[in-house]
Amino acid sequence: MSNKMFVLQKELREKGVLISFSGKFSQEIIEELGQAVKKYLETENHPKTDIYNVFSIFIEQTQNIKNYCVSKQETPAYEQIANSCIVAIGSQENNERYVCSGNLIYNDDIDKLEKIINELIGLDKQSLKKLYKQKLKQDLPPDSTSAGLGLIDVARKASSPLEYSIEKKDEFFSFFTLKAIV
Amino acid sequence: MEKLFIKATKSTPEVNLDSDNNNLLINGQSYPENAFKFYEPIFNWVNEYLDELETGVQVQIDFTLPYINTSSSKCIMMLLDKFDDAFLAGKNIFLNWYCDQENEIEFECAEEFKEDMNFPIEIVSREDN
Repeated sequence: MSNKMFVLQKELREKGVLISFSGKFSQEIIEELGQAVKKYLETENHPKTDIYNVFSIFIEQTQNIKNYCVSKQETPAYEQIANSCIVAIGSQENNERYVCSGNLIYNDDIDKLEKIINELIGLDKQSLKKLYKQKLKQDLPPDSTSAGLGLIDVARKASSPLEYSIEKKDEFFSFFTLKAIV
Repeated sequence: MEKLFIKATKSTPEVNLDSDNNNLLINGQSYPENAFKFYEPIFNWVNEYLDELETGVQVQIDFTLPYINTSSSKCIMMLLDKFDDAFLAGKNIFLNWYCDQENEIEFECAEEFKEDMNFPIEIVSREDN
């Protein structure tokens, strides 16, 4: 047996990863990991507001990805997309925490996603609040599963602008990475 | 009218809607898989309750929401809108919103909802263990 696990562990340590999960996101996994993150940060004596922000960014990011996967349930690549999900919570310099997530997306969805995130990156806290409240009050189509508020909320709770990358894999898919810092 | 009681789970709050005492309580974290599905029976119950509610009866609502995700926030907003409409139609409605004294974000969240409402909302400090 090789020492691959040791190499992986070393890499996780170097990146400051506290908790990570790779695979299909289910509500149960999101709940368990969310509670674990919260417990872990509580033992490290972080201010309650920081723990709250990390927890809520984690929930929004993972539920967002899960909703994206569910919306592709009827497509042939559903399993591939659903199994491509990853999330990591970690710490970095300046005593900052981060929530970083990634998943495959259809190339057809890139433009829409980029437009939304780029808009959010350009907004200050006050404008984000305004946009959030505007969306909160908007009527939703009857069979909605999401209110389109998740990313705005992540941007509001992050201490610096969202970071993202979209890397083309082939003619159909790209890998989307999103990082929020608290 | 029948009461509506829903037991709390890890990601859904306890709901206790008591038409006999006119006390409506929601207590706990809310981030279910599908918030709209979870809140639907609550919307239906509240619609019927407010329809039957006689003017002059004091309705006391108690919210303790340590964490709500964005789709639950949307549902809470829809719920508050129903109460607000009833208030503007002359019903007597009062909400106590209990927030963790050590978590200013909970207060901000409650404040943001309050900003858009006409009916009285009191934001109260609570102590968590």
